[in-house]
Amino acid sequence: MIAAKAHGAPGRVLEIRGLSVDTEHAQVLQGIDFSLEQGRILGIVGESGAGKSLLSKVLGRALPEGFRVSAGSLSFAGQDLLVCPASAHRDLLGKRICFVPQDAQQALNPVLSISQQFNEHFERLGLAPGSWSAMAQDALRSVQLAQPERVLGQYPHQLSGGMCQRVLLAMAFASQPDLIVCDEATTALDPATQLKIVSLLRDLQRDRGTAVLFITHDLDLAAHLCDQLLVLYAGTMVEFGSTEQILSAPGHPYTRALLNARPALTGDWQALQPLCGQMPSMESLPSLEGCRFAPRCGQAGPTCQQPPSLQQQADGRWLRCCGGQWANAVTASPASMDARYALGLLGSAPPFLRVENLGQSDRVGRWPNRRLEPRLQGIDFSIAPGEFIGLVGPSGSGKSSLARILMGLKAPDTGRLWLNGEPLGVDRASWERRRQAVQLTFQNSSTTLNPRRTLSELLTQSLDHQAVLRSERKARAEALAQAVGLPLELFSRLPAQLSGGQRQRLNIGRALCNLPQLLIADEIVSGLDVSVQAQILNLLLALRREHKIALLLISHDLGVVRYLCGRVMVMDQGRIVESGDTAKVFSAPRHPVTRQLLRAARYEVEHA
Amino acid sequence: MSVAVAFGWRVKWASGYWLMLTLIALFAPVLAPHSPQMQDLAHTLQPVAWLPGGNWHFPLGTDVLGRCQFSRLLFGSRVVVLVAFLAALGSAVIGTTLGLLAGYFKGWIERSIMFVVDVWMAFPAVVLAMLLIVALGPSLGNVVLAIILVDWTRFCRVIRSDTLQLANQPYVLAARIAGASQLSVLCRELLPGVLPTLIVLCSLQMGSAIVAESILAFVGMSVGPAEASWGAMIAQGLGYAFSAPWLVLPPIIATVSAILASIMLGTGLRYAARTTSSRRVSREPER
Repeated sequence: MIAAKAHGAPGRVLEIRGLSVDTEHAQVLQGIDFSLEQGRILGIVGESGAGKSLLSKVLGRALPEGFRVSAGSLSFAGQDLLVCPASAHRDLLGKRICFVPQDAQQALNPVLSISQQFNEHFERLGLAPGSWSAMAQDALRSVQLAQPERVLGQYPHQLSGGMCQRVLLAMAFASQPDLIVCDEATTALDPATQLKIVSLLRDLQRDRGTAVLFITHDLDLAAHLCDQLLVLYAGTMVEFGSTEQILSAPGHPYTRALLNARPALTGDWQALQPLCGQMPSMESLPSLEGCRFAPRCGQAGPTCQQPPSLQQQADGRWLRCCGGQWANAVTASPASMDARYALGLLGSAPPFLRVENLGQSDRVGRWPNRRLEPRLQGIDFSIAPGEFIGLVGPSGSGKSSLARILMGLKAPDTGRLWLNGEPLGVDRASWERRRQAVQLTFQNSSTTLNPRRTLSELLTQSLDHQAVLRSERKARAEALAQAVGLPLELFSRLPAQLSGGQRQRLNIGRALCNLPQLLIADEIVSGLDVSVQAQILNLLLALRREHKIALLLISHDLGVVRYLCGRVMVMDQGRIVESGDTAKVFSAPRHPVTRQLLRAARYEVEHA
Repeated sequence: MSVAVAFGWRVKWASGYWLMLTLIALFAPVLAPHSPQMQDLAHTLQPVAWLPGGNWHFPLGTDVLGRCQFSRLLFGSRVVVLVAFLAALGSAVIGTTLGLLAGYFKGWIERSIMFVVDVWMAFPAVVLAMLLIVALGPSLGNVVLAIILVDWTRFCRVIRSDTLQLANQPYVLAARIAGASQLSVLCRELLPGVLPTLIVLCSLQMGSAIVAESILAFVGMSVGPAEASWGAMIAQGLGYAFSAPWLVLPPIIATVSAILASIMLGTGLRYAARTTSSRRVSREPER
């Protein structure tokens, strides 16, 4: 099965030496130096803004305007991709180098059926037309798509995101390439699908001996999949070594911080140590003369004023760090952090919100075939002040519907809600009462903020409709900004001028403006970088200490749920199938859905 | 708000032109050498000053009644400026209000508003305007009113489709949760969102209002015959287009340049709005 093709240096598919990319003002990729052998998976890991995608764009010669390669060589199978003529480079793409992009649904042409897109691909590969349909079916079968004949006749919008991603993988492997570049290929998928795609990639790659460049922000995923890891920070390669080396003994303080910022799924509860600050922007790179990580580094010393060079360590890994050699690491003592964020107040007071036998159905289909499809059934639970509850479940299980009903954005068909001992209806007075007590924050922090209002206006948006003195409103905004950790200098900024973490803080701050009893957080940290995620999680714990707010956290990340929530509810197909103490549920799951979620979270692969 | 908008050369030139035109309209009595109505029957059909037979007493010559063309051109700018601004403002107010209501409330409100718009647009615009003028009688106010009543539908359609998009944004929901009433959602969340589109539409509407006014003036349904208007000047000069081209050329050049300026303003503002909304996210140290 392994396609043996002539290589310049046998076994070495990709070799990048001293690659740098410049813009007019700054060096955005600096001295990238690595090689990738045949049949290996190299994970390129880093937070947003680290320059991961830039690397794949260099490979595809698709650098944005104003960016240019200033130094280095990039040889693919003995041929320097940076100097070879455009036609030779084009011949390699799609045949020997394949790209699998992030958004599969957008990567496929919406007006062509899957078979037409396969045919286009085979035509480019120069295969005889007679064999196309059989080959397309084989390719789809190899990615475990049931009924390949049917899928071939369908259009991309008729397939789910996971299926589209499989089609793209099938196309990539169909050309028997030497190198596959996956740029955040599974980021947009839910964890179960993500796991399936990743294990599929791994199996196919092993079968055919393909080399894979796997670009991701998810260190756990990369650790699970990759043989080698390359950690990027602000355009510099900070660490490069085998996965075991890096996970067991991270050499660079940034790698260590990334690992520490992830809430664990096992072991004792321990407060996260977030990395302060955020990745420097492209504009601020020129001012960082020494080590680019130094301003955020806990162990930076005077030697860090000089740019460190990439050096091979005794164990074979490459490291770019000159500060203290991780001997005198200064970290906040874990014990004091644990005490500060400890899980107190575990629902000791009587509950203020009770939900009884809640149900809701959607009307599906047109008139003669119209039927009711239950979305939620028999939901029963209660929340006490200061209690953090996690709501988990596979996608489509009704988590977001439940959140919307609790907030009052949708009316339930059956069941009752009690808030502070009084029933909640759908009338105007109930809406006001509910709004004061319950607040919802949405998943996508950028679209929930009016792009034309400033930070201070948005923070106190709920005072828009109350007779409040301007000075009073300003004082409230300042207090809220302090509570959620937003500097006052940002007050006149618009949402587009804030970072993702700042926008999420703003969202939380806005929800807290009237001090609600319950905050419903719908996927509040998904899409954030791990270091920012850790900051937000600790912020929520600090807010509970101060204001005794309760939290209903909807998340697909079980690590986050375990870190924050004392109680967890597992939903499946509109029902709560299991609930109880987080520790108990996670250590001894009883329902198959819970077990499946836990397995996916631990990357335990189920082979079909 | 602390947003610096970068305007291109189009916006600078076009707004400069409109500023100049407005100033001319305001100070026409001071700038004009004659009264626009004054007839000098001893000097009819005089050519422009620099042609043989012309003199600088009538810089752009005289028409068949011996009226100073230059003065009429200056006074005609008053009609153009008033029509352009008032018609754009009026149709913007009507169209935006109905468009916002239709796009936000949906349901029967949207269906009925859009039905009215469709019927309205099915009616030929020029015929509708002429009917209105015949019914109301020719005067500057009625010309503006007729143009508004013809052109508000365009605003309504575009603003509705913009509103439909914006109303789906989660920030509208977020505002409702923060306690905003329906009216406050319309005014605070949606109106600022459609403002860029509205500004562009307005500047384009200025151009089409000028066209509409000159068409009406051409068929004698705009301001009274004694009042100076560029459209009327073209209509009156057309009979002498070959023997005395200076009668039609200046008003035609003036009309075309005014329309061009308003279109350029629209294009330039659209570019400015685009670059503003796609500006890069700046990152600041977080605490």
